[in-house]
Amino acid sequence: MEDYFDIKLVIEYFPQILARIHITLLVVLVAALIGFILGILIAATRLYKIPVLEQLSIVYISFVRGTPIIVQLFIVYYGIPLIVQKIFHINLNRIDAIYFVILTYGLNSGAFLSEVIRSAISSVNAGQTEAAYSVGLTKIQTFLRIIAPQALVTAIPNFGTSMAGLLQDSSLAFSLGIIDVMGKVQAIGSVSYHVLEGYVVAAIIFLVLGILLERAFKNLEKRASFKKGAL
Amino acid sequence: MEFDFSFMLEALKAALKFTPTTLLLAIVPLILGVVLGTGIAIIRLFKVKYLSEFFTIYVVIIRGIPLALLLLMTYFAFVQGFDAIKNLFHLKIMSKDISLVYIALFTFTLYSTATISESIRGALASIDKGQYEGAYSIGLTKRQTLKRIILPQIVPITIPMLSNSFIGLVKGSSLAFMISVTDLLNGALITATGNYKFLEAYIAAALVYWVICIIIERIAYFYEGRLGLFNRRELV
Repeated sequence: MEDYFDIKLVIEYFPQILARIHITLLVVLVAALIGFILGILIAATRLYKIPVLEQLSIVYISFVRGTPIIVQLFIVYYGIPLIVQKIFHINLNRIDAIYFVILTYGLNSGAFLSEVIRSAISSVNAGQTEAAYSVGLTKIQTFLRIIAPQALVTAIPNFGTSMAGLLQDSSLAFSLGIIDVMGKVQAIGSVSYHVLEGYVVAAIIFLVLGILLERAFKNLEKRASFKKGAL
Repeated sequence: MEFDFSFMLEALKAALKFTPTTLLLAIVPLILGVVLGTGIAIIRLFKVKYLSEFFTIYVVIIRGIPLALLLLMTYFAFVQGFDAIKNLFHLKIMSKDISLVYIALFTFTLYSTATISESIRGALASIDKGQYEGAYSIGLTKRQTLKRIILPQIVPITIPMLSNSFIGLVKGSSLAFMISVTDLLNGALITATGNYKFLEAYIAAALVYWVICIIIERIAYFYEGRLGLFNRRELV
């Protein structure tokens, strides 16, 4: 029973596993950035009802929401090199798996964030746009100065939820052999046969990161809503 | 490497064959999650001593740990713990003899209980305090108030959230392949182990998941409209 769960190993593994946190954070942050840009583009196609692109966006969002992230991860991992090979005749077989991981999470969060952005933008009263036009602002000025700042404030809580989801999903990156927090646990486990202790360490790291993320977004929300009150 | 369409159809067949396992892995945790989650939400609503604090911590911890990690933790805790206890009592059964589906079901239920309790708590919070006061003032007990006044009102509010939870569970159940449960995803992947045509297998699995999720969304949308009727009539 002693070798079932050794608390000493938890303490021993902790620094080793924590040392890989930058990979997890890198995946989450870069994917979030890609997702944000992609999300704006997708939301735009739906808000401005651009033909064809709008329908494509709807199918894309439905697919991303309707399939497990692990399946998306492998479809990107196996599918993208195949497509690139076919069209550009470039061999991607030697490329590091982390690029595929970041791309998948970016594509995934792009779909979710586009819904967040779309609902936030459509929540801004149409009268605001009309008022902006009536004082002579152009379409772009209206969007950047009037609509976007207000939409961002309403979107903050949902952004927080999406980021928390992205952080949790990133725990699957190890299935492509990425040595992030989870990957390190697997690596330790395959050498020492003590996986449970490693998983506890990973769980603590994810819990703390999740709580920090939630705090950060709560703070942001509080600060941003001050502005909203002034309006 | 070429995309093998006919093999994809073969993988699709295999995926469909194991779809009932995936549905089982999603429906059982959903039902148990609704029952237990409602219990937890009510306990937290009435701030029952100790229990309320306990479940608050439970919800924070379970929701803070990725499902994949939770599944692997329970799996190893069970397998290693079981064998240790078995040696202690000199039992003959091995942990391998126990179906891994139960471990997956247990983990998914732990998870769904925590997430669904949060949705139900949110729905409960949306009910006006005056409803409780009104019910108490005509002499209903707490239990009667909940059963006859509050819970019927939160049903239409929770339908979209529950449909999201259900979709999350269907997608989450794909993680069961990590502990080698043969579900929809694993069924499709097994056909590809011989010829390494994993892309076709993953796409086949994706199509099945996609269709399941669209069907769930449609059903939820339909019931949302019907159950919300009494609300709409009031407004008119």
